[in-house]
Amino acid sequence: MRRASDEQKQELPPSSSQQRYESHPPGDRPDQEPQRSHHSYTDQGGEESEDYESEEQLQQRILTAALKFVPAHGWTADAIAEGAKSLGLSVAAAGMFHTDGSELILHFVSQCNSELSNLLEQQQKLVQLGQAEKKKTDQFLRDAVEARLRMLIPYIEKWPQAVSILLLPHNIPASLNLLTSMVDDMWHYAGDQSTDINWYTRRAVLAGIYNTTELVMMQDSSSDFEETWHFLENRIADAMTMGHTAKQVQSTGEALVQGLMGAAVTVKNLAGLNQRR
Amino acid sequence: MTLDNINKPDIDRIIRVDHAGEYGANRIYAGQMAVLGRTTVGPVIQQMWNQEKDHLKKFNELMVTFRVRPTILLPFWNVAGFALGAGTALLGKEGAMACTVAVEESISAHYNNQMRTLMEEDPEKYKELLQIIKKFRDDELEHHDIGLDHDAELAPAYSLLKTAIQIGCKAAIFLSERI
Repeated sequence: MRRASDEQKQELPPSSSQQRYESHPPGDRPDQEPQRSHHSYTDQGGEESEDYESEEQLQQRILTAALKFVPAHGWTADAIAEGAKSLGLSVAAAGMFHTDGSELILHFVSQCNSELSNLLEQQQKLVQLGQAEKKKTDQFLRDAVEARLRMLIPYIEKWPQAVSILLLPHNIPASLNLLTSMVDDMWHYAGDQSTDINWYTRRAVLAGIYNTTELVMMQDSSSDFEETWHFLENRIADAMTMGHTAKQVQSTGEALVQGLMGAAVTVKNLAGLNQRR
Repeated sequence: MTLDNINKPDIDRIIRVDHAGEYGANRIYAGQMAVLGRTTVGPVIQQMWNQEKDHLKKFNELMVTFRVRPTILLPFWNVAGFALGAGTALLGKEGAMACTVAVEESISAHYNNQMRTLMEEDPEKYKELLQIIKKFRDDELEHHDIGLDHDAELAPAYSLLKTAIQIGCKAAIFLSERI
């Protein structure tokens, strides 16, 4: 029946909302790995058998399997080849992908983001059911960024290589897309409801915090990355202070404008310029 | 109509541009009130403004529910809207009314287009959104008629003013859908 997909189930938590790093037309939702979703007998195409797997699903399976080999081989075509081999496929299957390992890295990032989404969704459910306390924004963001960065720990040795590949011009659109959706997710679950320019500033700030913390993490040799989490705490605190200061500046500005308007009206009154026509 | 079953790119655009539109309309009326607030036409403008505030509130809610990104041009619409409202109001109350007529006509046509799009796609799924847009379109048409009733057509260079404003509205709609 399904080829090796059952063993896949144990490695890959079925994510109902796996982010895609390619842009897909809205009507075409890519099928998720562990599910069988082609209803072959009603298909117009007709010839597909019941355990037909699309090329995309196959690629996903190979990339997921390849992750095991990344600590040894790096983010390379070698890791992908080993991954294919471990699924009982020919190593030539690695030829489906670019040689610089881009897809493998993007796949990994996308997977981590989905995992984070699921985690935050579950936490939200617990809060809604009253089984957990609602966290304050700074604590929430700290925990979310930490949870997400911890997913890098098994691959941290080779992560600098991945970051540099993601910065290659042809990967920038995809990696930027993944970063922005991750940051949007974090703020959404943190309870952000802004509908003005703050929507942008908050996400930009959080993206900055995430990226700098990631860089610190790659250089961190303390036990369990304590220094990284400490750095993260400070950056979040800075961001909160910045937010408060911005609010204060705004209210001071408003008070000032009120004062000036009052002064102007007074002057007009004194000069007799305020008579109703 | 839930976050999971909608055509996200289309709904994103619709909510983003409508939110921007109501935000702009708010600022236009604010500009008009700043100039004409204490004249006889003040209460009329204030009432129309209040309705726009309600519209904006609704789109704020929809924006959060459907996780739509607001247009990055909002600060620009903030200033441009206020300038348009105040500028036309400085031409006199007829000028302000002409601006209202022009803008409300554009917005109504725009809402009609959106309703057509949604109905073509799936009237059942988008029933709630359709009802909201329909109600708002009716409100905007009412504003349009109020504008005409208050001597909009007597404004200086009425056709020119109206055409210019409507071109501006078309551009604003085009940009806010995308950026």
